[in-house]
Amino acid sequence: MSTHANNNDSAAPPPGDEVQAAEYVLGVLDEVSRRRVSLRLASDAGFARLVEGWERHFSPWLLRAPATEPSAHVWEQICERLGWREEPRPAPRLWDNAPFWRRAAGIALVAGIVATVFSISRTPPTAPPEEFAAGPVTVLARGDGTTGWIARINPSRGEVLLMPVPGTVDAAGRVNELWIIPAGGKPHSLGLLSHELAHTITVPSELRASLVAGATLAVTLEDRAGIPHAAPSSEPVAIGNIRTI
Amino acid sequence: MELRQQDVSEPENALLARVARGDREAFEQLYRATSARLLGVCLRLVPDRGTAEDVLQDVYVAAWRKAPQFDPVRASAAVWLAAIARHRAIDRLRADAGQRELAPIELAEAQPDPAPAPAHQAEADSERARLDDCVGQLEPKRRSLIRTAFFDGATYEELAARSGSPLGSVKSWIRRGLLQLRACLEA
Repeated sequence: MSTHANNNDSAAPPPGDEVQAAEYVLGVLDEVSRRRVSLRLASDAGFARLVEGWERHFSPWLLRAPATEPSAHVWEQICERLGWREEPRPAPRLWDNAPFWRRAAGIALVAGIVATVFSISRTPPTAPPEEFAAGPVTVLARGDGTTGWIARINPSRGEVLLMPVPGTVDAAGRVNELWIIPAGGKPHSLGLLSHELAHTITVPSELRASLVAGATLAVTLEDRAGIPHAAPSSEPVAIGNIRTI
Repeated sequence: MELRQQDVSEPENALLARVARGDREAFEQLYRATSARLLGVCLRLVPDRGTAEDVLQDVYVAAWRKAPQFDPVRASAAVWLAAIARHRAIDRLRADAGQRELAPIELAEAQPDPAPAPAHQAEADSERARLDDCVGQLEPKRRSLIRTAFFDGATYEELAARSGSPLGSVKSWIRRGLLQLRACLEA
């Protein structure tokens, strides 16, 4: 039968998609291979169908485990992790908070310096479209002073080009939401922001007047559902003041 | 927007469809209906209760976020949720690798199946018989490796060590066994 199975694993041909899908469902892959397959799963619909097929094949074994009632605190902790509290959260208050703004201004100052360093040591991940090729940028700095995004504003078109410096993905699965905050005003959502791809965000016409020097761009982690949100639910992960356009 | 047809005999599918629309009350009902079963799935792979309950939290946070991707035409809510639980538990096993006790596997020996849970029995009975029948047709070595891999969440490397067989052989036996299994299940 398996007479030419041997010790040298690398001699075997790499497994096809069908086998890879089965191996993932069976659970025999090590941490690195598993991560590779789960990344593919998220981006390759055909491969995801193969995995679903194997989940179905093995489902009788999957559903065979004896049920065990979880402790009461598990549900409470799930609610907490989803940001659900007994009382509605006073989220917008954060944005009126003076120490927060002093901190944000400090970060933005650091960001100016960081921007210079980055322009020497690092090329943006994706070449910007021609109309954005030259001109001032706004750096959206993370809390630790590193660059999160570089923004280039095109006021005549009402567009903002955002180039991320690829960083870590939120472990809880939240996504980045971009906000524009007029000087002294409240944040308005500009929608979903990629953490890995440069893309252009078109500012709704009613907010274009806000797209001026003195305003602030900020990013928060939010649930994908409901974007654009009426107000941020957490502290910004990156922030930058628009100085020149 | 028109909703997809829902199977009324599967209230969990209906609950999950409501969860996909952001319905927290439906989410709590879904949790009450499924959390004991899913903790069972986690505990089989991650025997420490505290760790398994941590994994269970991940499972429901993921289920809330991924609910809009659930397609009742392609999977049942029970299988969809259990698969999330199983994969999260395996991820935890991999992250804590090295802390596991590796019991030896006797490849030739037939291994008894774990007892079925009483819930879902009717629904799963024919499929289960089919899976068991097809696995039963595999040669003993392949059968026992595939069983151990599934029920212990063991990696190729762990299976090789536990069975005292070369890694390349273990991979080859399992891959051939899987293809044979698919041919039988899809026949």
